[in-house]
Amino acid sequence: MQSTSRLLVRKRIATLFLLFTLGFFILGGRMFWVQFVRGAELSEKAAQNRTRDVPVESKRGIIYDRNGHDLAISVSADSVYAIPAEVLASKKEQEIAQKLAAVLGMDESRVYDRITRQSSFEWIKRQIEPELSQQIRELDLPGIGLTEESRRYYPKGSLAAHVLGISGVDNTGLEGIDYYYNDLVGGQKGRIVIEHDAANRPIPEATHHYVPPVDGANLILTIDETIQYIAERELDKVFKERQAKAATVIVMDPHTGEILAMANRPTFDPNNYGDYPDSNRRNWAISNAYEPGSTMKITTAAMALQEGIVNENTPFICSGSIKVGKETIGCTNRRAHGQQTFAQIVENSCNVSFVQVGLTLGMEKYYQYLNAFGFGQPTGIDLPGEAAGILVPQGRAKQIDLATMSMGQANAVTPLQLCNAVAAVANGGKLMKPYLVKKVVDQSGNVLQENQPTIVRQVISEETAYRLSMILEGEVINGTGKNAYIEGYRVGGKTGTAQKIAPGGGYLPNEYIASFIGYAPVHKPRLLCIVAVDAPQGYPYYGGWVAAPVFKNIMQDALRYLEEPLYKDDSAEQTLPAEEMVVVPDVVNLPLEEAAALVRSRGLQVKVNGSGNVVWQQTPKANTRLKPGQQVIIDLSQVDKTSHGGPVTVPDLQGKSMREVAKILADLGLHLMPEGYGLAYQQSPEPGKVITGGSTVTVKFQPIGE
Amino acid sequence: MRLKKGPPDLILFLTALTLLGIGLIMVFSSSAVTASVRYGDAYYFFKRQVLWSIIGIGALLITMKINYQKLKSLALPAMIIALVCLILVVTPLGIEVNSSNRWLGIGSARLFAPSELAKLAVVMFLARTMEVNIDRMKDFVKGVLPYLTIIAVVCGLIMLQPDLGTAFVVAATIFFMMMAAGARASHLIAIAAAGAAAVVAAIVVAPYRMARLTAFLNPWKYANEEGFQTIQSLYALGSGGLFGLGLGRSRQKFFYLPEQHTDFIFAILGEELGFLGAIVVIALFLLFAWRGFKIAINAPDNFGSLLAAGITVLITFQAAINIGVVCGVLPVTGITLPFISHGGSSLLFTLIGVGLLLNISRYSMNR
Repeated sequence: MQSTSRLLVRKRIATLFLLFTLGFFILGGRMFWVQFVRGAELSEKAAQNRTRDVPVESKRGIIYDRNGHDLAISVSADSVYAIPAEVLASKKEQEIAQKLAAVLGMDESRVYDRITRQSSFEWIKRQIEPELSQQIRELDLPGIGLTEESRRYYPKGSLAAHVLGISGVDNTGLEGIDYYYNDLVGGQKGRIVIEHDAANRPIPEATHHYVPPVDGANLILTIDETIQYIAERELDKVFKERQAKAATVIVMDPHTGEILAMANRPTFDPNNYGDYPDSNRRNWAISNAYEPGSTMKITTAAMALQEGIVNENTPFICSGSIKVGKETIGCTNRRAHGQQTFAQIVENSCNVSFVQVGLTLGMEKYYQYLNAFGFGQPTGIDLPGEAAGILVPQGRAKQIDLATMSMGQANAVTPLQLCNAVAAVANGGKLMKPYLVKKVVDQSGNVLQENQPTIVRQVISEETAYRLSMILEGEVINGTGKNAYIEGYRVGGKTGTAQKIAPGGGYLPNEYIASFIGYAPVHKPRLLCIVAVDAPQGYPYYGGWVAAPVFKNIMQDALRYLEEPLYKDDSAEQTLPAEEMVVVPDVVNLPLEEAAALVRSRGLQVKVNGSGNVVWQQTPKANTRLKPGQQVIIDLSQVDKTSHGGPVTVPDLQGKSMREVAKILADLGLHLMPEGYGLAYQQSPEPGKVITGGSTVTVKFQPIGE
Repeated sequence: MRLKKGPPDLILFLTALTLLGIGLIMVFSSSAVTASVRYGDAYYFFKRQVLWSIIGIGALLITMKINYQKLKSLALPAMIIALVCLILVVTPLGIEVNSSNRWLGIGSARLFAPSELAKLAVVMFLARTMEVNIDRMKDFVKGVLPYLTIIAVVCGLIMLQPDLGTAFVVAATIFFMMMAAGARASHLIAIAAAGAAAVVAAIVVAPYRMARLTAFLNPWKYANEEGFQTIQSLYALGSGGLFGLGLGRSRQKFFYLPEQHTDFIFAILGEELGFLGAIVVIALFLLFAWRGFKIAINAPDNFGSLLAAGITVLITFQAAINIGVVCGVLPVTGITLPFISHGGSSLLFTLIGVGLLLNISRYSMNR
């Protein structure tokens, strides 16, 4: 009995040993898994857990227009931070809080709370004024540091806002060009990596290194600031006068696809975009697909001419309406146009005849050209959020669809798509890829990216394109586009008054999109421009009345600005050849060297009167036309301006820093009465006013951002 | 019974000394930062551990010399003393640390932890009573119920501190000793099931245990709360990789890993010495188990076998649980790693246990 139990005890103990051996093997296996298999991953996580980054912001690149005027810049300001562990280690947290609170004008208990918080890094105040950061630097408080942060600033306010887009508080592009090119423009954030213990004390001999930020590259846009400004100005006018829902303008170089201006209403100020409804930031020009109406007839005409179905003189008869299947399509007010040539149906925008043209072309050909002109697919412009437009699917299109799309209904296109398609007519038949950024240049001047004009395809022949251009000129001279006529230039174009689709199907009874698209000079196009106004109030709401005048004003100013020579009709007698005239630039308030260079660049002579280094008056005035070689007299500010008290023209100080303002005013002999700090946003007297030297100019400044 | 005395088990002795040596090094390495911040002396914990090691080895040498047979008569008094101490510790005489009463001492000076004494006393007491009772082990009323009562009383007292981890180790040791003593498999399974139910109940009634369990099941979700220790422990082990960061180069000991010189010392060991260091320690415990159970099997009588098996289980089971917690396969229980972790009374009683094992090995029948 005794021996049986003895044996059992021994066997049981042996079993226990096996059990424990198994247990330790499992533990060994688990250790292998944790340390060897998952080691790298866990070790990475552990390191992240132990390190804290102090961010060092990179500066976003500057966005320039095509002539080097800055449209979006980065301004930097110091931000104050605390490393609470160091503050606590100094044992002077009360004193530090008190001093900081005094300089920054903050509540002392709040500062104390932040600098003693259980964290490795705390912002105290971000983007403070330079004087304050200097004071803090001089205080040299333990555990308190300053780091430079930068923020986008748009010196021209809402100019080209939809193109430039917006940047967030963390200095990344959120919309527009700033978003599309964020990788290049944003640069790379730098950081200071500090490994620390769980109580936030730096670990001895630990990782502790500085990664400097790489500043972003600069962008040079195809946008021309002046043309953009002209477009914005005219758009403002029509938007306000006609109380429209929205409006858009695109100005393009039809030969290259470069966008020179792109503006939308409603708009916003990217500096304070939060103050505007989100919908204001929508870039109508590229994201809104609409049924374009008669402007689309240009492409139908191009197809017919190219296919040889018609020529300029092919006769058409319009009885006021035409039956397609069960439906009846009519011209405006069912008014019969009677007998017309092909050129005349374009001038009269005759729906009935265009339906005939379209039906003759046939479904297959029509879609073939529609695709060739780039409809139904994005143009590929370098902006985010471009719409593709909506075409009636070819497989489902019926004769009635073909009929209505021939006159510009049924298919939805974006203003940019239409613009690009018509550019193919203007430039001799080539569909171009539109673009907004000419060059990306890094901080050391290396070109990182350069966008060249890209031909997508030849859509129609050069001859067809030229013949159609001539017809479109006739439309402006004789047809619905008369209000687009610009004296001194040959203009071709087409009006459009599109019905708007109602949300539930069908068309809205009283809302239209009035548009005009055209280019000039028609025989050798320099600029192409589309104007579309959504739901203008009042009568007449037709494209020819609402949009054509806008087109005319923009093109007239833009062509003159570009010094496009006036058209010289061989039959006309002109006293002075326009080509030989040059426009006098505005040099008032410019430094002497710059003013003289500008005048000479136009082929004019400079005569300098007086001494000093800033121009205060010029003769003749800006925008006067002179023959090359004629003289512009530049009067400089007087040496002793204050005592002299001579008249001084008040310069535009908008967007300048206090120091710049002070220097400019001092040079002009004026006194500065500053209010606030930051950049100038308001001044009294207004720019352009002539006041006596020695007077005081009150300038209001506001900080950038917060 | 008069037995012939032989030499003690040298392998077991060397294994224990090696573990003790590794322990001393790791206590210094893991506690230096905490010690210098908290006490201004990097050697604070190390010095205490050295002192206790010396005391412990002294005790080991003494217990090794006395014939273990004489312990039979000491079993009951030791058990009574242990129970008294366990009761005293939950009275105002106990020292409260982290809302647990685990130490007896004068003022705030901790002398010893009664549960460490209790562990050894229970093993001795069980070995004694089981030897007498060996033929009735298969009887539920006479062979099983008395031991369940002991589990209930001892573990109940330990739970008053409260110290679930130690209670669990004691209960498991009693269970394994019942198994060694020849209890019926069906009884053992029933007890295990009931024990599991008791553990579940203990977890459900205490919110902090529930939180620990949830955190154990999904540590990453509770990385900043209850899962914190497990996560930081895994970070440490993972950082160690195959060869470790090198002795003294742990990063996690900079206050990331709590209890870095006690409950989680094995994580720092894994971080500094890598998988190779950790596997060596595990192998040493396995070696210890082998020698311990071998001594138990070769002991001249059932008292010696059960005593040796009990001591071996006590030490290696606790080691396995501790390592299991560190590598994240068991929930955080708060028990230390024998030989390695800092802790005076734990080390003292562990070494006394080793002394007893060596003592029994001298009377081995199989040489």
